[in-house]
Order: sequence, then structure tokens, then C-alpha cells
Amino acid sequence: MSKLTLNEQTICFAEGETLLDVASRQGLEIPTLCHDPRLEPAGACRSCLVEVAGERLMTPACARVAQEGMVVATENERIDRHRQTLMALYMTDHPHEREISEAGSPDLLLDMAAEFDAPMDWGWMEPMRGDREDRNPYVDFNPDTCIACARCVRYCEEIEGVSAITLAGRGSHTTISTVEEKSLLDTTCELCGGCIDVCPTGAMNEKLPLMRGQKPERELVKVRSTCNFCGVGCQLDLNVDLEGRDGQGQIVKVTSPPPGTTTNDGNLCVKGRFAYDFVHHKDRLTQPLVRDEDGVFHPTTWDDALERAAEGLLGVAERHGADALGFVSSSRCTMEENFLVQKMARALFRANHVHQCAAT
Amino acid sequence: MAGLVETFGAGAMTNSIGEIRDADFLFVIGSNTSEAHPIIAMEMKRAIRKGATLVVADPRAIWMTSIAEKHLQLNPGTDVWLLNAMAHVIVAEDLINREFIENQTENFEQVKETVASYTPERAEEITGISADDIRWTARQYAMTEKAGIYYTLGITEHAHGTDNVYALANLVLMTGHLGKPATGMNPLRGQNNVQGANDAGATPMFYPGYQRVDDPDVQAKYEKSWGVPLSPVPGLNLNEMMKTVGEQMRGFFVMGEDIVLSEPNVLELEKGLNKVDFIVMQDAFMNETARFADVILPAAVFAEKEGTFTNSERRVQRVRKAVEPPGEALPDWEILVMLANKMGANWSYKDPAEVYAEMVKDVPQFAGISHEKLEKIDAGEESIAGLQWPCPDADHPGTKFLHEDGILRGKGLFMPVHYIPPAELPDEDYGLFLSTGRTLYHYNAATQTRRESGLDVKQSEAFVELHPSDARKRGVHHGDIVEVTTRRGSVQLRAILSRQVRPGCIWMPLHFAEARANVLTNDVGDAVTGTAEYKVCAAEVRLVKSMPGNETFFPGSYYFEKGPGLQRVGD
Ligand code: SF4
Ligand code: SF4
Ligand code: FES
Repeated sequence: MSKLTLNEQTICFAEGETLLDVASRQGLEIPTLCHDPRLEPAGACRSCLVEVAGERLMTPACARVAQEGMVVATENERIDRHRQTLMALYMTDHPHEREISEAGSPDLLLDMAAEFDAPMDWGWMEPMRGDREDRNPYVDFNPDTCIACARCVRYCEEIEGVSAITLAGRGSHTTISTVEEKSLLDTTCELCGGCIDVCPTGAMNEKLPLMRGQKPERELVKVRSTCNFCGVGCQLDLNVDLEGRDGQGQIVKVTSPPPGTTTNDGNLCVKGRFAYDFVHHKDRLTQPLVRDEDGVFHPTTWDDALERAAEGLLGVAERHGADALGFVSSSRCTMEENFLVQKMARALFRANHVHQCAAT
Repeated sequence: MAGLVETFGAGAMTNSIGEIRDADFLFVIGSNTSEAHPIIAMEMKRAIRKGATLVVADPRAIWMTSIAEKHLQLNPGTDVWLLNAMAHVIVAEDLINREFIENQTENFEQVKETVASYTPERAEEITGISADDIRWTARQYAMTEKAGIYYTLGITEHAHGTDNVYALANLVLMTGHLGKPATGMNPLRGQNNVQGANDAGATPMFYPGYQRVDDPDVQAKYEKSWGVPLSPVPGLNLNEMMKTVGEQMRGFFVMGEDIVLSEPNVLELEKGLNKVDFIVMQDAFMNETARFADVILPAAVFAEKEGTFTNSERRVQRVRKAVEPPGEALPDWEILVMLANKMGANWSYKDPAEVYAEMVKDVPQFAGISHEKLEKIDAGEESIAGLQWPCPDADHPGTKFLHEDGILRGKGLFMPVHYIPPAELPDEDYGLFLSTGRTLYHYNAATQTRRESGLDVKQSEAFVELHPSDARKRGVHHGDIVEVTTRRGSVQLRAILSRQVRPGCIWMPLHFAEARANVLTNDVGDAVTGTAEYKVCAAEVRLVKSMPGNETFFPGSYYFEKGPGLQRVGD
């Protein structure tokens, strides 16, 4: 095992680990914006600079590979000053008000500026105003809050593998765009929403909650659950407005848990991330229904509906034998519910005609 | 999953999703991974970035083929030929893992004999894949240590789906790619809790945990546990139930599924359903089955209830209640308890945790899993959320990959299989091969995804993919309305010209109610699992209405070679 000195402590590290990896393992916090454990390091945002003894320039901890004998400092006056300056510079063209920059997702840059006590009065440059119109249904991009760290671009290329978005323009005019500035819908984009999730400043945002004027993410409660679409079983956070729907709770958006904590490693697909509108859809069934003599359905009470359901099923068993009853369970429902359906078929009717739609 | 239970002793992915990124060779067969399992595809892309080799076997060009080393574009339904020919090469070139075969398997000799006649040259004639490519793939697979197989419905939704599974398992067993990380045999499940529903015993053959209903010891255990006499006769599988609707089957309880939209050969089924005495349906939405129902019970959706799902990699994970259900709708488990009690049971479960506890009590390989333990794991930061079975006791950390200490069945069972042509082949009247599948933007019967406005923007209507050469013969242009007909029925929808399909083949997604693919499909079921032949049948296409000016109609499926919506593909 190789060793290095980190803030005056001797630490072992494994080959290939970056200074950020080593420091995080020690529980040291280094600020990062463009870093993502799933991506190749880019060293773009400069927020993670640390000092290596004997080197004139500070170095990005996220991109610098640890080496035998290195002497590293992650906290000192010079580093503090750097962080302050960097944040002050970022703030010269970044909205200062949370209401503006955090209409949707949280803006880590504002947190960081506050944390390092950055001066907010180093002048104001008009931020890049780009066209915010795009007919795609899900992804909103706000150039005002973009810091061009390219995390979204790298995600789209390295993880999703479709390279639908790129960095465009130069210098202070650098921004995120698509090839030929087409709508995302006309690119290779698969609407996975990963770019939204990785964006540290909330420049990439989910469109629908903004359009609907729903609460910003900071005011929502996250409930960790399992996606109900495919067999991957991604973990996701349902972001709930507890006061929504007259206090019944409303799902405002879905976000992914941090990378490294779940099977899906912080990723989701278009269905898991965006297809939640069905939950509160007006077509939901809200009352038990029974078909009457007239051949149409009528709403009724739970007790009545259950009574009729029980009578109906028992009646079939009586007339034709329990073997005439089929129980179709569902691979959409929970383990517990499937267990109960098969127990119902077997224990109550002494028959094994129980299956679900997708046995594959 | 019967195929896997039989050969290995456990019907699930042998390995974990997180191991895919470390594989060096990925053999993907019958799985449109990037559309049906995008997250698995991301893991595969990661492996490929690190230098892994991907081979895709699929009659249709899919996104994954664009990053594959080779695309084996086989004729539909000829999987067994391809796989047996690969086995032939592995045996003939002595690339087998002798030690593994001797110590851990049985019946190898029989398979060796069977595959002897499946030469790559003859395979080339039947599958349409060159003998060289078959040899190359077989060698790469056999000689790469971390080589994994990934498959899904493409392989199992055939009348001979179980045969396909056996043929794949033979490859795994003869090379010993089992019981090690980033290898194995990995069925990717289509629906969120297919694995769980099977694990929980919602199958005519097994109690929870794949314990056979006709095993007297198992029966005795459950009779004691539930305090009632039980039947040792395996029940009918869904395909069989649907075929005897109105005859043997006179009543149904249907939870959370639309049997009318999802079952094959639906016109026959509807006739039968009209003769059924009584149907109770329990669902969150109205659906096609409701037309035949007598009682409808409004159910909660996943975000409105507590419970667990088990994913493809055997990982049990919590489902948590985030919001209240609308109106009087209730979680399915609560409805089930009330209904059972109305029918004379005496169930007193107070929450899903208690139901789960009762289930695992009688299943040794789930015994260490509980809601409580899952809560603890999810709250900690040391390990990935959830718990993978087998997990025999409360201190067990769960199992990442199966068969590490020997194959669970005791010995891995080689099963010789022979090629049987698909039940229905193209002929004079129906000159094309129809297959159906899923797309990225919708989900099964799409009762959920089509209620999502954004997904409808991206992919708003049904379509059929037709090769330009077949289109030309029929006078069809891109964007035209056509009628697709099979022996069972016909539907009208848009044609898109695409080189994703082979000449002679057409493909359509199965999500759209106005053009139900299963009006067309065949209900010949697999002899073992009863899974119907959704994938292939004979069909014909006829122009209904020219739609000039619709050249750019693009419904959001992956366009081969050209970017989406850019140009017409074909002429
Ligand atoms: S939604 Fe996904 S595919 Fe589309 S631009 Fe963002 S990261 Fe790329
Ligand atoms: S987010 Fe997408 S990939 Fe993940 S479980 Fe849901 S449907 Fe499957
Ligand atoms: S996090 Fe290291 S440079 Fe951005």
C-alpha cells in the first residue's frame, strides 16, 4: 500500500485513487461542483483545489491521482482565499436571489458562496441570455444559472452514451446547447433527465413543475421508494408537496438517490424519472363499482362491493367447483399482495389456478 | 422461469446488475436492452467504455447494435440453431471447461451428441448468420473469463421459449461461466415485480420460493402453516386459463392487470369472456377487462402504499407510501384481506411487514429478510439499498451472485434441445414475419405512460416498422396508413420504413390500445411455462391510405444509421 500525508496525517491509499477519494474516505469535506463519481474527472470548476507541497499552483483534488509520498493540504488560508475569490467571481454573473435561481432544483453554488463568505459585490456582468424555448416536454435549461462545468454534457456522453448536448461558445459566453441548436426532441436525447440530476446549480431543471408553478425542490419531502416500471428496480425519491391535493400529498417530481447508494447508481430512465403523472390522474378509479341488472356500473360502498365480490366468487365455486376459478395476480403489485392472492386461491379454494400476466 | 429452476436450481439472474460493468464479454440475445432496461444498458455501456466486447443477437437492429462488436441478425425464431451451433464449436474446438463439467454438472454427453449435427455451416443456412461469425462468437464467449449472457422476453416469448433457455444454459455449463462475478446467465425481467410475483408463489406450480405444489413434504408444511387442506394438483398457467375461458374457467379474480389488452389472440379470448359467470377486477384505472367485469375495486398505486418489490437481480427493496390514494381507493393488500374475510377467512394482518414475515417463515432462502432489516440497510450508508436472496438468516448479508459454493440444484443439468420451427411461418397469404416488442417511452399496456403528456409527445401513436424493399413491393411509403393482418385479426396503423428490420420481417410495439398488437399474435403457449408466442407469427401488410407529406413522421423509435427525424430511411 502506498502512503501520503494529508493535513499532517499519514494515510494509505490504493492505486488510482484521486486526492478527493482519499480525503472523502477520511471524512474530509472538499467543495466540488463539477465532480461526479460516475464520470471521468474534468477539473473544470476549480472549486476543489488543494495544495501539494513543492508545487507552485494548487491542484484539483477531483482529478489529481494520489502519489506515494505526496504532502497534501486541504485546508489553509491560501485555499480559503482561493475559494472565496472563486465564488465571488462566479457570483458576478450568477443570480444572487434564491427565488430566482432555485425555482426548481437547489443551487449548490449559492450555498457555497454563503459558506465561504464570498463578497457578492464584485460587479455584475449580464449573464448569457440564451433561448429558453424548446419543445421538449421535460428538460428546461436556464443559461443564467449555468456555470459551464459540463457535468451534464459529460453525463450525457459517458453514462447515457448519446451525446445529445455539448458545450457551445467561448469564454464567458460558454453555454450548453445541442448540435445545431435543435430541440432536444430532434436529437439523440432519450429524455433520461440525467443532465437535470447532475447539474449542481439547478440550471438544468424539470420543466413541468416550473410550468405548473409548483414548490421548489427545497420545500418538498423526499420519500425513497422503488420504481414501478421495469425489473431493474431503480430506487427513486418521490418529492412530495405535503400540502398538495388538500393535504393528501402531491408528487411534484422524482429525483434519483446519490450515486453509489443504490443499484441504479444515481441513474434513472425517462419512465422512472418523468412518468409519475398517472398517480394523480383524473382517470383514477376512486369508488367501488358494481354492475347492476341494467348492465352498467354504479358506485357503491366498500362493504357492498366486497359482499358482491365474495358472493360472486363463492357462487362460481359452488356451481362449477373451485377448479373453475382463476386468480390473476400482478407483477405490478407488491410481494405481499402476490403472496396474499396465491394464499387466497390455495387456502380458501384449495386450487392452484393462480398466475400473473408476465410470467417471464 | 421454469427453465432456469430446472437446470440451475434457481430462477433468477445469477449475477448482479452492478457486476455488469466489470464484464469483458457481453452476449445479449433477444433483449432490446437500451429501450426495455435502460439502466442495465448504461452498465453495459460502461463495460464497453472499459474495453469489453458486446455481441448482440437479434433479428432487428437496435440501439445496442450500434455499439456492438458484432450484430448477429438471425432469422426470427432460429435462436436454438444459433445457440446449438455455438455449443457445437465449443465442443469441437475443445474449449469446454472439463473440470467444471465433471465436478458440477450432469448429462453433458447427451448435449454433446445433440449439438454434433448443428454445424456452423448448416446454421448459416438456417439462421442467416455466417459460420465465421458463429465460430468467432463461440470462441470469444468460451475463452473470455468474465463472460456473461443477458436475455429477456425476446428469448422466452416463443412457443419454444424454455428450449431457448436450456440452450443458453448449456453454453454456460460447458464453459463454467457460473458462480463467479460478472458472468452467468441473466434474465432481465420486463416488469418491476415479475421476479417477486414468482418468488411469492403467484404461479400454478409453486408455493413461495419455488417449492412445488406436488411435493408432499411441501404440501404438508403449508397445510400445517395455514391450517387447511391443500391441493397437490398443479394449476393452470395463465395461457391455459385464457384458453379455457368460458369452458372450464367460469370466474376470475383479476388484480392489477389488463388481461384483454395483454393476452395474445384477444378476439378468441373476448368470446370466451362473454361466457364467464363472474369477474372481480381490482385496479387503479379502468381498462379493457372492465368491459367484462361485474365488480370493480379501486386500488392504490405504488406511491400510495407500503410493501416490497424484488428486482431481476433478486434484490428485495422497499416500496414506501408517499401520498394518500384518491377518493376511496385502497392498497391492494388491504382489499385482499377484506375480501378474504368476507369469504370466510380469518386474516388479521395489520401491515405488509407482517405479511412478508409470514411468507419468509416457510421459505428458507428468504428467511433472513424482513421489512425491519431493509429499513436498517437503507438507513445506513455502507451497502447498496435492499437485500438479495438467498438470505437464510438474519445476520446474512445477502447474495450477490449465485452458485458460488457449487450449483444450487446440486449438479447443473444439461438439457439437450432440438430446433423446432416457429408454430407459424410466413407463407403465400401471409408473407411477412411479425414480431412485437417494447419501446423506451411506453410501458406494457401503457395505462400509466400514456397518461404522461410528455411521453405522448415523444411517441404519440402506434407504428409498424417495415423494410424499404418490402414496402416497395406493397406500394407503401413512409408515414402511410397500412393494415397489418394475421390469421387472427387485423389492425391499422402508420408504417415507418426502416432498415432496423430485416427484409421479410416487420415489427411493432405492443403498447397502443388503438392498434393492439395482440389482436394479431399467436396464443400457442410454451409447453413448460405457458408463455405465449408474442414474438413471431406470419402477417401481411396492405396500404390503406397514402399520406404524402408525412416523410418526417417519427414516432421515437431508434433510427438505424440516420439520426431521428432527419431523413427518410430507405429509398
Ligand atoms: S435528458 Fe439524458 S439524454 Fe437527454 S440531454 Fe439530458 S442527459 Fe442527455
Ligand atoms: S427508472 Fe427506468 S430503468 Fe429504472 S426501474 Fe424504472 S423503468 Fe426501469
Ligand atoms: S470538482 Fe474538481 S474541478 Fe470541479
